[in-house]
Amino acid sequence: MASTTRSERAIRFVPTRLTPQELSLQAEVREFLAAELGDGTHRPGLGMSGRADRDFSRKLGARGWLGMALPKQYGGGERSAVDRFVVTEELLRVGAPVGLHWVADRQSGAVIARFGTEEQKRKYLPGICAGELGFSIGMSEPDVGSDLAAVRTRAVRDGDGWVINGTKVWTTGAHRNDVMITLCRTSDEDDRHKGLSQFLVDLRAPGVEIRPIPLLDGSADFNEVVLTDVRVSDADLLGTLGQGWSQNTAELAFERGGPDRFLTTYPVFEAFLRETDPASLDARARVAIGRIAADYWVLRNITLSVARAVDRDESPVQEAALVKEFATRFEQDVITTLLDIVDLDPVTDSASIFEQILSEAILTGPVFTIRGGTIEILRSVAAKGLGR
Amino acid sequence: MTQTPMTDPLLLEAAADIFASVCTPADLEAAEADGWAPQAWAAVAEAGLPWISVPESAGGEGGSLTDALAVLRVAGRFGLPVPIAETGVLAGWLLASAGLQAERLPTTVADATGLDWDGTTLTGTVRNVAWGAAASRLVVLAGTSVLVFDPTTLRVERHTGLAGEPSDTVCFEAAAPLAVGTAPVGVDSDTLALRGALTRVVLMSGALEQVLVTTVRYTEERQQFGKPVGRFQAVQQHLVHIGQQTALLDMAAAQASASADSGADADLQRFHVLAAKSVADDAARIATRAAHQAHAAMGMTREYPLHYATRRLWAWTRQWGTGAQVAGALGASVLDAGADAFWPTLTR
Repeated sequence: MASTTRSERAIRFVPTRLTPQELSLQAEVREFLAAELGDGTHRPGLGMSGRADRDFSRKLGARGWLGMALPKQYGGGERSAVDRFVVTEELLRVGAPVGLHWVADRQSGAVIARFGTEEQKRKYLPGICAGELGFSIGMSEPDVGSDLAAVRTRAVRDGDGWVINGTKVWTTGAHRNDVMITLCRTSDEDDRHKGLSQFLVDLRAPGVEIRPIPLLDGSADFNEVVLTDVRVSDADLLGTLGQGWSQNTAELAFERGGPDRFLTTYPVFEAFLRETDPASLDARARVAIGRIAADYWVLRNITLSVARAVDRDESPVQEAALVKEFATRFEQDVITTLLDIVDLDPVTDSASIFEQILSEAILTGPVFTIRGGTIEILRSVAAKGLGR
Repeated sequence: MTQTPMTDPLLLEAAADIFASVCTPADLEAAEADGWAPQAWAAVAEAGLPWISVPESAGGEGGSLTDALAVLRVAGRFGLPVPIAETGVLAGWLLASAGLQAERLPTTVADATGLDWDGTTLTGTVRNVAWGAAASRLVVLAGTSVLVFDPTTLRVERHTGLAGEPSDTVCFEAAAPLAVGTAPVGVDSDTLALRGALTRVVLMSGALEQVLVTTVRYTEERQQFGKPVGRFQAVQQHLVHIGQQTALLDMAAAQASASADSGADADLQRFHVLAAKSVADDAARIATRAAHQAHAAMGMTREYPLHYATRRLWAWTRQWGTGAQVAGALGASVLDAGADAFWPTLTR
């Protein structure tokens, strides 16, 4: 067999484990969540689709568990990506109500810290760290889908400011959030990846109309955001004029490689274990559960290694795409597998937590492999990393 | 201390150089034809590689289990056609545990628990003994006894496994061992199987890396419809699946190896090995299918070297616990431990 060396492989995941300090943070978070949500009335949410609960987000902020990696001078913790990972995976495990702060904590804060002006950092980061400010992602559009370089929303120079017109879609939480980081075309260039810019748009500004897009399960967290002559100033330009594409790509790396991409249906699995009599399961069911357990274990180690890579100042964009493509399919496979094991025609309002969230997982499952980059797009990104 | 233990890269480079020199396609073909690869054995034995992790006091080379497993991973990449895993990590471990000496001979291993061992002779049959006829020593675990045999004194039926490597049936007919020792607590049929599974996990991790590199290279070089086939999205999808499974198995192998060498409690080590073997089984199935599809007919030929890795993956995934066996055992222990225990186990 021909000899090969490791260096031929561009995509690598370095094994790691938690330090004693990180384990004590884990214990602290676990204790907090038991006190906050452990009284038996908490109905777990599914990953980032968990309820929006301003009080809960504020409590996390007060603990220093939001904006953990942001600079201290703006209210952040200057802690590591792994510390944030530790907090996040505990929140996802119990299906905590993370909806209000999720996007702000995962990506908006990091992007503002990296590309924002001093004034923007002062304006937004303390609110993100306190759990007060909700952010939405203004990337996709009705006729654009995954092809973000084709965005039509346009920001046009007008005096000392800009006027924005266009429509963004699939905008989670826009109806309750405060700010949308909005990808706009600011000039027409031969290379369509140029001439794009990001603006911080106040979702309550005149000319912003937010229309709910009800999903098939009846939920109304998704929106269409129509921007009609929305005025922003130069102070609202995020980063460099015309550099929106590369800034946006950096933002997607934050969005894709985290534990939220394999733990969405974890609460369903744990509720299954809680509510199922092991004696009722046959050998095939035990095999199926063992395979799920094994995949949880290895995916947890992989995503932890991505967080460690971020702490080494690497930008694991292709790694994140490779993981997310697999991990979100796994989130769906967990549900498929459990459905093979249980004899249940689920009702959505069951007294059983397992049955309730199993129902939700079936009805929302297709979105796992769509949001944050469809698996088809992710395959293209990841495939580039596999070549030499 | 955030990194899991690392093996000296120089050791792995040295091992890779040796394996490369004795694992050419011609070498691998000859090994399959003859059932033994004397040059390969001589080269790895001279370097002491099979006895890493066996204490020097027991005739080994010393070194950690992590080191031994890291070398095995490289052996898996090259398809090294000798019982390197059996000689040290398995037989050498049994021998040292029982206070016996490892000899510098090609050695294989079998679990004969359940056969008739009367304290003096062993009677019964064991199948799928790797290199059963070619090895010079056969170390057997029979309940709490560790027995050493010379296979030439036994009736051995030669068989060929999926990878073209010997997978023999050994018949003990009131056979008297050369040496007898007692296995201490913690060395039993279950822990031998876990250790065996761990050797297969790391071997498979190496072989799968070979599959990935081979397939990436092929799809970049092979032109169809005027461009490299790797430019087609349908083919890229195969590459992504292979890349994912390689990454998952690499991670599982590294974490399970570190766990086995860490002094973690036995239940946790067991969880990690069972999980890793389950991951390996999925990886072998998914990635070999994708790799062969990406290669199309070319990958089915004897001449093209993909099969040296894929046939080994198909064989190794059946050894020391099939996918269903390890996943079933893992599932049973997850159910026994209950809902509150699973997450803390996952995140320790």
